[in-house]
Amino acid sequence: MSAERITFWYGCNVLRHGDIIHTCLDILRALGYDPAPVGGPDYCCGTVKDVNQTTAGGMATRTVGRLNERGARVVAWCPSCHSHMHDFMERANDRHFDMTYLVELLHARRAELAHLLRQPVPMRVMLHQHVGFNELVPVNRMVPELLALIPGVEVLEAGYTAPGYMCASFTAVPKALDDIHANTVRAAKAAGADAVVTVFHQCYRELVGLDAAGAVPVHNYIQVFARSMGLPYEDDYKKWKRAGEITDPERIAKVGIEFYERAVLPELKKRPNLR
Amino acid sequence: MSTRPVIGQRLKEFQQREIDRILGACTQCGKCYEVCPMAQYSKAPAKDGKAVVPGVLAVLRGEQGSPEALGWIAVCTRSGVCVPACPENVDPKMMMRLARMTALGGRGLPKQIEPKEDRDYFDRIRAFAKLQLTDDELKDWT
Repeated sequence: MSAERITFWYGCNVLRHGDIIHTCLDILRALGYDPAPVGGPDYCCGTVKDVNQTTAGGMATRTVGRLNERGARVVAWCPSCHSHMHDFMERANDRHFDMTYLVELLHARRAELAHLLRQPVPMRVMLHQHVGFNELVPVNRMVPELLALIPGVEVLEAGYTAPGYMCASFTAVPKALDDIHANTVRAAKAAGADAVVTVFHQCYRELVGLDAAGAVPVHNYIQVFARSMGLPYEDDYKKWKRAGEITDPERIAKVGIEFYERAVLPELKKRPNLR
Repeated sequence: MSTRPVIGQRLKEFQQREIDRILGACTQCGKCYEVCPMAQYSKAPAKDGKAVVPGVLAVLRGEQGSPEALGWIAVCTRSGVCVPACPENVDPKMMMRLARMTALGGRGLPKQIEPKEDRDYFDRIRAFAKLQLTDDELKDWT
């Protein structure tokens, strides 16, 4: 029987984390799928364009059209894309594909997934959880159940749930993000966690600053899967964040020194405001 | 006469239907504001949700919102705690999302809150893609 073709719609901002995209693809292939990854600005859902609904509507129509043309089930990685499809895109466009969020797919296939998670990862972890998206896909229940499949992983009940549907939505409310950072570190320490594990890459991008600042180690759940599967991908983003820069001049040359210094370096140097 | 669809037209029509539904269903009881975990971060917090929600509905109608309403709209991060709190099934998360789009000027009405502009948003994504993916992956995946 041939593998089911799926479109792996990873989103935009996860392109900061190539290791996450590569691991997702390896997992999907190991579960018997034939995934075609698509994402980036050309597949943007339009959710970032609240300031211009003409543009947002055009982006939504273009992206739904492109996903329709692929003629395969869509598996989404990004919670923003998935919820924007549910809330707006499919209600203003004709969607001709089935759609699943990756966590739902992995949870449905957890018996097979467990066979891939062979290497022990001795770690007591606290799940960094939000409200909001959890009402669409119960990730706050499903991800701990998936992490518990990994030998050595213990998921602790820390009793802290952050407001908002993900950390990146707090860029306009910095005081609230400061509170999330402080409460996350406090809850992880109180629970005795070795590390904080995020569901969404948008939270990982923000919380990895806690790791870089030495407050608490932070991982995305897919990265913990990668360790247990013995996958070799390096977390470049964490490496750069810890260093506060990219040290390889050839890599910097790929994006140009001027753009790197103006638009990339400040993000890598940014640290949480821990009070 | 051109038969080409107007860009974004169906999205705008859907949004207007949602606004009409919300304006017809909301009783301005204020429960959505009272349970909101983000209200404490508003620049103009209020003690009573009944004093805030009418300003949100005014924004949806294209009118000027009150400082309390605009302060709340500006800090909404889609927690969704308001949804089960609403006794009329209005879907206050959608109400706030549409109010935010409107207040930011996204629906063609005058801007009432300032957007946080990031002129490098998509270029930064493209840059990280170049840093993380091979040339073939960039060609085939993005």
